[in-house]
Amino acid sequence: MTYPWHDSTPIYRQLKEKIVNMLLEGVLQPGDTVPSVRQISAEYQLNPLTVSKALQELADEGLIEKKRGIGMFVAGGAIELLRASERKKFQDIEWPLVVERAQQLGIDLKQLVNRNVKGGK
Amino acid sequence: MVASIVSAKGITKRFGKSIAVDNLRFEIPQGRIVGLIGPNGSGKTTTLKAILGLTPFEGDLTVLGYDPRTQRDALMQEVCFIADVAILPRWIRVSDLVDFVAAVHPKFDREKADRYLAKTKLKPTMKVKSLSKGMVVQLHLALIMSIKARLLVLDEPTLGLDILYRKQFYQSLMEDYFDEEMSIIITTHQVEEIENVLSDAMFIREGKLVLFESMDRIGERFLEVIVKPEFEDAARELNPIDQRTLFGKKAMLFDGVARDALEHLGEVHAPSLSDLFVAKMTGALQ
Repeated sequence: MTYPWHDSTPIYRQLKEKIVNMLLEGVLQPGDTVPSVRQISAEYQLNPLTVSKALQELADEGLIEKKRGIGMFVAGGAIELLRASERKKFQDIEWPLVVERAQQLGIDLKQLVNRNVKGGK
Repeated sequence: MVASIVSAKGITKRFGKSIAVDNLRFEIPQGRIVGLIGPNGSGKTTTLKAILGLTPFEGDLTVLGYDPRTQRDALMQEVCFIADVAILPRWIRVSDLVDFVAAVHPKFDREKADRYLAKTKLKPTMKVKSLSKGMVVQLHLALIMSIKARLLVLDEPTLGLDILYRKQFYQSLMEDYFDEEMSIIITTHQVEEIENVLSDAMFIREGKLVLFESMDRIGERFLEVIVKPEFEDAARELNPIDQRTLFGKKAMLFDGVARDALEHLGEVHAPSLSDLFVAKMTGALQ
């Protein structure tokens, strides 16, 4: 595997995740053009089908919009939509794992939360 | 139904008593990038030669609707090929070579070739003998990419190239050349490098087809599990097709076992194409 892809999830999902992160970080803003399948597949050396699949899912979720003959754009409400789903993912999936790990290591969660919030980092 | 680019029905090639290609059957539809992967001497190049009409063989084969044995001229107008032993005359200049291809190939787009060459360090007056290996491949690629073909055959196209040239090669291919109306067949030993570019993988061993699946299907079919020691027996019951030791733990490879059935045995992940290849090649030997 080239580029830092890993082998526990399919690459189209990792690519999707990558674009989602670019949205969350503000690298891609609503209204921005999304590179074409061809550009992405050349840049990351991926099969165009893989790239299409990732973009199609993003379009299905309403994060990007296809405009016929022009290309693809980041949808207007993409950031809000994404924050909501990422928040849910954090609460339902990621946070329980953190709690489990903390318990495993004998870390007092309340103390940890207080320290991190006060310390600013 | 998408049109078939290559349709092979039982092609066989013998060299004296030895069989180089043994009753191969496969269909390559339009819009695919197929990796033809096999060890040295497994029949890859012979298969490509059959497709290109460069060698006689037994069996039925149609490429773009033509029989490569009898309709090679028509076929060659729509096929491009870079051989692993791609040799250009040492004395020829870049500009002479472009002139030559422009004169002999009806579908050659000269402006496109010039545009592509302008992006490289190649100069029209340079002679082939003064070019580095990477530059020769760039020159080949410039010629190939300026011909609108429906099938591109690449036999070890990046052999001996450094990583920068190799990356650039596939990048140009994907950006400026490939589209869903054509197909590409690539053979290479650098499997890791192309596995994400492929839509299908074809494994060949001793002239026989061992595996031909889309990459999507391969991702569904094959899973590797780093088995927890206490579940080794349970895992073995599910008939792994291969097994290797990884940091003292057993990594077992399964074909067609559902992820749900494996997850409790240990960490599940998709094998890389090269691991799968090694498993398929050694597994058959045991």
